[in-house]
Amino acid sequence: MMKRLAGLLLIFIAFVLAPAPASAILYIDINAPGGRRMPVALPALVVASGDQSLATSIPKVIGDDLGMTALFEILSAKSYLERIVPAHFSGRTLSFSDWKLIGAEAVVIGKVDARGDQITVELRLYDSTLGNMMAGRRYTGPTRSFRTIAHKFSNEILYAFTGVRGIFDTEIAFTATSRGGRDKGVYIVGLDGHEPRRITDNRSFNLFPRWSPDGDMLAYTSFKTGVPVIYLRNLQDGSERALVKFGNSKSPGSFTPKGEALFASVSVGGNSEIYRVRTNGSNSEKVIGGWGIQVSPSVSPDGRKIAFVSNRGGSPQVYVRDLPGGKDLRISHAGGYSTSPSWSPAGDRIAFTSQAGGKFSLYTVKPDGSDQRLLVSADGDCTDPSYSPDGRYVVYTFQKKGYSELKIISADGRWGKSLYSGLSGVGSPAWSPRR
Amino acid sequence: MGKRGVWKLGAVVLAVAMLFAMGCAKKQEVKSGEAAGAPPAAESKAPPGGIVSESLKPEAPPAPAPGDTQVAAAEAGAAVTQERPSPFQDIHFDFDKSFIRDDAKPVLSSVADYLKKNKGARVTIEGHCDERGTSEYNMALGDRRAESARAYLASLGVPASALATVSFGEEKPLDPGHTEGAWAKNRRGHFVVK
Repeated sequence: MMKRLAGLLLIFIAFVLAPAPASAILYIDINAPGGRRMPVALPALVVASGDQSLATSIPKVIGDDLGMTALFEILSAKSYLERIVPAHFSGRTLSFSDWKLIGAEAVVIGKVDARGDQITVELRLYDSTLGNMMAGRRYTGPTRSFRTIAHKFSNEILYAFTGVRGIFDTEIAFTATSRGGRDKGVYIVGLDGHEPRRITDNRSFNLFPRWSPDGDMLAYTSFKTGVPVIYLRNLQDGSERALVKFGNSKSPGSFTPKGEALFASVSVGGNSEIYRVRTNGSNSEKVIGGWGIQVSPSVSPDGRKIAFVSNRGGSPQVYVRDLPGGKDLRISHAGGYSTSPSWSPAGDRIAFTSQAGGKFSLYTVKPDGSDQRLLVSADGDCTDPSYSPDGRYVVYTFQKKGYSELKIISADGRWGKSLYSGLSGVGSPAWSPRR
Repeated sequence: MGKRGVWKLGAVVLAVAMLFAMGCAKKQEVKSGEAAGAPPAAESKAPPGGIVSESLKPEAPPAPAPGDTQVAAAEAGAAVTQERPSPFQDIHFDFDKSFIRDDAKPVLSSVADYLKKNKGARVTIEGHCDERGTSEYNMALGDRRAESARAYLASLGVPASALATVSFGEEKPLDPGHTEGAWAKNRRGHFVVK
């Protein structure tokens, strides 16, 4: 009798309590246009030990990241009713009614503990309506990496709401003139625009940084030996080796999608052509030849097509070629001088710069050359576009007379911000892949 | 209830508890048009000087994340950034062009004469551009200008071994101004004697 009862009970439980096939709680559809923003509160962190400024500097990075998406509204701290205390991390629940009262549908709380030159940061995202923790993570790292930690949690927040991975912890390589000097160095900065770190350290011209697909290496051109050479720099250990030495001028373009080769333009005898160079140095082959200037190769995400600049028509324009050895299609039809193609990692559009009406503006176009649209225009020149790895943003150089600045615009052109202008002569930005 | 019954009931309770635990811990799958994939957990990579993290939610695996990179060691650099002195005048080019203008020909003749008189001398022809346009394109254009001058000197009888070319694109403006006058000066071929 008992046996039977137990058996029936078990079956009953299996049907009633087994997890139902999952259906999403899709808080925000990242692709749906629409004005409503999710109101989020970002109260100050509890700093149990260590630098008290982290209480507000970490939420500020998170707030700026969420602001990039135009999906969230960060509520002002002045309206917050509840103060976050250490007990909230050891069992005390938030007073969700206090947060709902001010309109916060989600709350991010956090705690910092310092140990020597390391910090441990615990961050939690709560849904104030359901009263549950949507995401929570504890990070440990050097104190100076607090912005990267904040960026990583911004990725978690975006994922929790939209199911889409964020790119907030990616970085931008660029070149700038050192103070008072005439040389150019390669730098890397995070999306917060703070404290770029210098990668090259020679008093020469270091140009055109380009990321490998795994984010571990930068290719760039350097004149440090007196003539231009393309180097591959390992960002993990700082080692580098010369990759392309033949010919005269040379500049790296995209790597192939798996990173086994680099497309680069190299001038030989006054003609600049595009080569595919294996990153292990084993060989290089000419991919796009021609009389005149062929530069700036940017490969499609599937590796099958390449956008590039050619002046074969009399002035520089952007073309797309089907690899290998297919025909070339001109895709730029804006101004009389079009250069700097950047193929979106989403595959659907190519950004470039074009001079019309006396200034350079950014455009995007489909890879078949149709649907050309203005992306950004300003009182100055907008050049050097580079897409984010999710294809949702473009970083570019804004220049006017002697002033230059790195700026970011959303791919639909609706949202933008300044990224960095702390050094002179900033330019040539390249957005890193996700790691 | 006998002892056996108690054990069976216990087993049932345990089974219920496990089902509950599985139910609560099972991650909600997310519907999305994006290629969302897994939550942002990096593959196992050693975090260089970097950040490690763990999830506070029971089911997500801990994800080591790559952190900061290191600044490369200082390297000695050749001082190519300064304008190198020249006994010759610069020659100039039209915007986005590399053909040899008539006003360049007297200078090129004097370069050719010098090299014919000094058989062992070598000249490097530098090609330069003004700041307009984009850097990669200007690098290549500077090369075309230098090559154009080289080819003209060759047509005057200067041997190839006496000449070298290099382009600095728009990186070494002679005049830092942003006017037509400054730009015209910067679109130049510059001759450096070794």
